[in-house]
Amino acid sequence: MSNLPNLNGITLADLKLGRRSLLQALGVAAVGISFGGLAACSKSGGGTAAGTGEEAKLNFYNWDTYIGETTLADFKAASGIEVNMSLFATNDELFAKLRAGNQGFDVIVPSNDFVERMTQSDLIVPLDHALIPNMKNIDPSFIDVAYDPGRKFSMPYTWLALGIGYRKSKVKARPDSWKVLFDSDEYKGRIALLSEAGDVFRLAGKYLGKSVNALTPEDIKVIEAMLIKQKPNIKAFHEDNGQDLLLSGEVDLVLEYNGDIAQAMTEDPDLDFVLPKEGGQLNSDTLCIPKGAPHPKNAHAFINNLLDAEVGKKISETILYPTPNAAAKALMPDSYKNNPVIFPAADLLAKCEYAAYNPKLQPLYEEAFTRVRAA
Amino acid sequence: MNLFRRKIPLAPLEYTRRTSMRIWVGLVLFFLYAPLVTLVAFSFNDSRRNIVWRGFTTKYYEKALNNESLMTALGNSITIAAIATVVSVVLGALAAVMLWRFRFPFKAAWEGALALPIVVPEICMGVAMLAFFAKLDLPQDLAWPLNLGQITIAHITFCFPFVTMVVRSRLSSFNREEEEAAKDLGATEWQALRDVLLPHMKPGLIAGALLAFTLSLDDFVITFFTSGPNTITFPVKVYSMVRFSVTPEVNAASAMVIALTVILTSLALKLQSRMGALAQGH
Amino acid sequence: MEDWKRGRAMFATVAAAPLTWLTLFFIIPMAVVWLYSFGTNRGLTDIDISGTLVNYQRALEPLYLGIFAKSLVVAGITTVICLVVGFPVALAIVFSTDRWKPWLLLAIMLPFWTNLLIRTYALMAVLRTEGYANQSIGWLHDRFGSIMPLVGLPAPGAYEPMNLLYNNFAVILGLVYVHLPFMVLPLYAALDRLDRSLIEASLDLGAGHIRTLLAIVAPLAAPGIISGIIITFVPALGAYLTPDLLGGPDSQMIANVIERQFKRANDWPFGAALSFLLMYATFIAIAFQAVKAKQAERRG
Repeated sequence: MSNLPNLNGITLADLKLGRRSLLQALGVAAVGISFGGLAACSKSGGGTAAGTGEEAKLNFYNWDTYIGETTLADFKAASGIEVNMSLFATNDELFAKLRAGNQGFDVIVPSNDFVERMTQSDLIVPLDHALIPNMKNIDPSFIDVAYDPGRKFSMPYTWLALGIGYRKSKVKARPDSWKVLFDSDEYKGRIALLSEAGDVFRLAGKYLGKSVNALTPEDIKVIEAMLIKQKPNIKAFHEDNGQDLLLSGEVDLVLEYNGDIAQAMTEDPDLDFVLPKEGGQLNSDTLCIPKGAPHPKNAHAFINNLLDAEVGKKISETILYPTPNAAAKALMPDSYKNNPVIFPAADLLAKCEYAAYNPKLQPLYEEAFTRVRAA
Repeated sequence: MNLFRRKIPLAPLEYTRRTSMRIWVGLVLFFLYAPLVTLVAFSFNDSRRNIVWRGFTTKYYEKALNNESLMTALGNSITIAAIATVVSVVLGALAAVMLWRFRFPFKAAWEGALALPIVVPEICMGVAMLAFFAKLDLPQDLAWPLNLGQITIAHITFCFPFVTMVVRSRLSSFNREEEEAAKDLGATEWQALRDVLLPHMKPGLIAGALLAFTLSLDDFVITFFTSGPNTITFPVKVYSMVRFSVTPEVNAASAMVIALTVILTSLALKLQSRMGALAQGH
Repeated sequence: MEDWKRGRAMFATVAAAPLTWLTLFFIIPMAVVWLYSFGTNRGLTDIDISGTLVNYQRALEPLYLGIFAKSLVVAGITTVICLVVGFPVALAIVFSTDRWKPWLLLAIMLPFWTNLLIRTYALMAVLRTEGYANQSIGWLHDRFGSIMPLVGLPAPGAYEPMNLLYNNFAVILGLVYVHLPFMVLPLYAALDRLDRSLIEASLDLGAGHIRTLLAIVAPLAAPGIISGIIITFVPALGAYLTPDLLGGPDSQMIANVIERQFKRANDWPFGAALSFLLMYATFIAIAFQAVKAKQAERRG
């Protein structure tokens, strides 16, 4: 029984189309086949994992295409723990869902500002560093971060930077200032901005020379006026699919994450990414354990596994995002390590900041953004 | 069958055969299908994205078929939609008969309340359902398909008022005298209901069932909030997969759903017409 | 219509299940969110039901009323287009032979069994600046352009691709694309197997097809048209995905704003207040109509 494929989760190990999943796929079972026998089998995973003493299962809540091809299968082979991965699409959804209660997730992957939110609202539990020896692989600059000093609640999984993705043949010069997006009609009708109120306002603040975490309600008013003035030049606010807009030639400049543009660049060499000279905003996706996780020990073992050098290398090979795992990065080829899109120059990175979650300003950003869009 | 057809002078009423009508329907179908043709075409595209054509391949079909979680999600969706449709049609038809036939206390209020699931913003109902089921604290690890219960309940809740709306509008053309006539001929209230009212409601029931099935199959927001780690549906899976744009794999899965629907429906219709022919023969 | 007391058994049979279901799985869960609309945020996840009306006050500010009005207009236009486009289609289904009817119904419904998001992305591929719509029109343009000098007309300039995406036109087109069956199905349900003798009589008496349609078919279809309008208009009003993906910088609808309150802004009380304003309006409209109908029945 314990060898049966897990019905409802991703089991990359099990690449065959099982009889049961086929039945389910056809929906035949719904229309009158007796499924008593089938149902009895569907509770998989009876055994216990070596070492953790828990049922050999784990529910992993991740972003799509955010894991190595064989990572979960390798982990199962090593530990016996079956990882059932479900996917979410935005931090907001993750937060809204966990806010009312954990439905059984063991490991989640929120971004840095949501680590803050979840810590403040008591939705994630402290990590036991003794169970995560691979923490030593993490680049020291990622240990004492403002959103989680000493990494009490989260382990960094990837990091990314917001900048400008653009089509080289369609711009006069490298668009290395936020001015082209926020305060110029040079590329009228060929600009797409991210549809995230906080990010847009903070980066516009960066253009005006402010820290992303030191905006005041007055600044927000100034930025709002600037964006309303800029709006006729903006073609669309995109839902984090800016790389698609670039690839399809719909726009020539987008506000996007470097990892997304790096992936798109493998398909279209005419694309490029620049971190503007004013500096930008950093984000980091992290591994956390939500409160009420049914398998906390397995969760620690899994997080530790993901931070392993070899495992981390395989993940980076697939997802092409910057990794905070120094040991894994050392194993990667030069085409990744020295890629200026994935790892922008240190002097530029030094001007970038992590955005802190600010419960006072967030509603102001939202309302101002609603006004900009309604104007 | 043929005898019957000859009796009605069809000619002036054959709107479907008029050229202008055919052109109109053709244009509407073109509008509906042009994007789907693109979708199917791009499921054969040898690129991770749906944007530039990079050559023919069937590898995404293989990938989709082998993606067990995608297939399971698809199975879950169809199962939920099938159950939700049946229950919604029953509930919706009952509510329609109730509103159409009876005067009862607070009828206007109930009528208004029955329209609310149509208007409630999905996210609002999603949050309500999330909080509601969290309070109930039902066991999470039930066997399939019982674990889909929460999602199915939520789906029925927002589907059946649509059925009520459609069936009720159908009922307004019902001639009560037919029912009275049946009763005068000795039929009981229930027999009259079954033999006279129900056949009249049939087009409404079909339309309502199609609506409910469509709504349930496509719902993302409410499902997202009611699904747990083991109950992923196709829309929930797809929405999380498109953070990096729709991949040909998702297109391939959709194309297979289309093909499957056509095949199953043709079989059902063939079967039905054969049974019909048999019944006529006797 | 009969009083429920005169047919208690029948009334109990038809009323028990739907009313219980509605109460248990809709009214009770929604009651919690309704209370939120009178609440105040305390910290990140706690909502204090303080009985405040601040959320409603904010929801009635001109900013939100403006967005609300715009959504009404967009949903209204969508509904009218759906009715105009869908009515002939419904007629075609109603008057088709029994053999063809299920196939026509299937042909209309099939596109809607493809996931909404996938369908919307497919529509985007058609409408893009370099998409098929523009490519086809551009091709036609060039063909006709080369003919025009032959007949003595000046050759047109090069084809300028139209902006079909990221504007309010795209939003309405997308909404029509998504909501068409919501109009066709109720119309079909109302008209199917109706009394054809009336139509024949009208035609026999010399009325044209259009006049027959307006004088005979439309009144017969009235209940279907009304329910079609309701179930097209109301969901279109609540659309959020279509304006998000197809709309331009100013194409936000009320559902987008509501969605942001529940998600990014994390302001559930305000989101609840906005949602319930929509629901109050619908509830009052439907209940008012029911009361009117009752009065009409009493008089008649």
